[in-house]
Amino acid sequence: MRDRMSPGERMHALLTGQKPDRIPVIPFAFGYTAKIAGLPIGDFYSDGKKCFWCQLMAADLHGYDATPMYGYASVGAWEFGGKIGFPYEVGHGAPYVIKHPIETEEDVDKIEIPDPKTAGANPIMMEVAKQANALGMPAIFQIGGFITYCGNAMEPARMLHWMIRKPELVHKFINKVEEYQKLVTDWFVDTFGAEKCMVFSGGAIESNKVISPKQYETFALPHEININKYIFSKGLHVVMMHPCADQNKNLPFYKQIREACGWKGKYVWNFGPETPIEKQIEAFGAHDIIAGNVDPPSFQTRSFDEVLMLCKDNIERGLKNPSGYILMPGCEMPPLAPPINVHAMMVAARKFGSFG
Amino acid sequence: MKEEILNGLAEAVVSGDTEKAEKLAKEALANGIDPYEAIMEGCSKGMSIVSQKYECGDMYVPEILCSAEAMNIAIEILKPHIKVDPTAVPKKIIIGVTKGDVHEIGKNLVKLMMEAAGFKVVDLGRDVPTEKFVEAVKTENADVCAMSALMTTSMIFMPEIISQVKKAKPNVITMVGGGPLSLDTAKQYGADGYAKDASLAVKVTKELLSRGGA
Repeated sequence: MRDRMSPGERMHALLTGQKPDRIPVIPFAFGYTAKIAGLPIGDFYSDGKKCFWCQLMAADLHGYDATPMYGYASVGAWEFGGKIGFPYEVGHGAPYVIKHPIETEEDVDKIEIPDPKTAGANPIMMEVAKQANALGMPAIFQIGGFITYCGNAMEPARMLHWMIRKPELVHKFINKVEEYQKLVTDWFVDTFGAEKCMVFSGGAIESNKVISPKQYETFALPHEININKYIFSKGLHVVMMHPCADQNKNLPFYKQIREACGWKGKYVWNFGPETPIEKQIEAFGAHDIIAGNVDPPSFQTRSFDEVLMLCKDNIERGLKNPSGYILMPGCEMPPLAPPINVHAMMVAARKFGSFG
Repeated sequence: MKEEILNGLAEAVVSGDTEKAEKLAKEALANGIDPYEAIMEGCSKGMSIVSQKYECGDMYVPEILCSAEAMNIAIEILKPHIKVDPTAVPKKIIIGVTKGDVHEIGKNLVKLMMEAAGFKVVDLGRDVPTEKFVEAVKTENADVCAMSALMTTSMIFMPEIISQVKKAKPNVITMVGGGPLSLDTAKQYGADGYAKDASLAVKVTKELLSRGGA
């Protein structure tokens, strides 16, 4: 089936409050795009050009609406001087931490705010953004997710233990992360101009399977408010927020972030599948787009018909959001998902999410 | 006095109070309380409360790590004084994160809860290849083989592990868990048990063992 609008036109319509031809589809596909391109996932994460090309070609093949971008869940370790491994082995799906830059209490004092232009995967992220920008797409960069950044730098269990025993160390390092993220923002805005940039933010260690809402409020919320205010002060206005996994109890704090920023700009919320769309609409529906949030492993383990029905259910509930809806999994598309199940999203969007 | 000390130990574990745990473990010995009883009725009881609180969303991982710290301090003091009963053999669990996966918070929580419940746990760590699970089940003569994965790319090894460990020891109980797993996937993979979190893992394991294994 041919679509009336191009992906760019469709996303523009959605972001400006107009009716697109159909709901957009963003399959949150990273490693998957490398697999169907016949490349190692390690190449995808270590080479910006390949990363961009895989995503662009996969979007063209399936006809979905995602802009290529670079982001990864282990962010924070390499950027602050640790070491990561790229996913070249069977079983690997994404970069993983080999050495955490913070191993002792003294390291927290010693660690310096890195130069964003050379820190960790940032040069790769910039390469992907430049390729996107050259084709008129948004230049996307990853910030936020302070608990995840901190956990990746400190080692998750060490950080979680320090949250109780040595909270001042966690606060001290998160302050540095905030300063660093402001520098990343400056770098992207200086390179492309704020109008051409878009923010991607998220993290999994924030999950309420790991930390309490009180801990989120204490350790992350003030910094999330600061960085979100900062990006608006720099002229950015589109943010993709991915509160990963079960963050039901943090949801009121995400609303606080938006309130603290005066509901400026347009946010796209992509919660994990544990957070019902109805709760998201209640919190953000008057202003923001809900992107969600089909159960990700189902794309790998279920049949085409089952995935189609999951998408249909998600669309029917998501279309009730007054500020717009995108069909998306609740986290990254499994790299080993059969391509036909990604196609199920397209079939569902055209069949159940068309606007005539 | 005995009840006071045992309840105090349990409370110290729940609140993650290391000083109190140390003090009460020493008091237990000084007052002639059987150290095994002090561990089971004090420390383990405390950890069981922690487990219930986690399940209800009243406690989270940072607090659990502190509880574990307090429990371990008390156990270190009590353990050398236990009179070993050669006929008492605890059930043995092999646990590990499947190949390609380095996420081990969940696995470590399960290990912690299992040990607190009295199981002997052999931790194979993370990024564990199939052969290592099989070898460990054989050499340790394990009762349970538990495996965890946080990635959809690494959970695919579970059916092979389950099949291989069953060949090596047909009556071993196989358990799976981790973010992308579900009861449906566990059944599809041929696992005997699935638990969606650490506290349920203990319950499911006990239930499966009480049925006489796989």
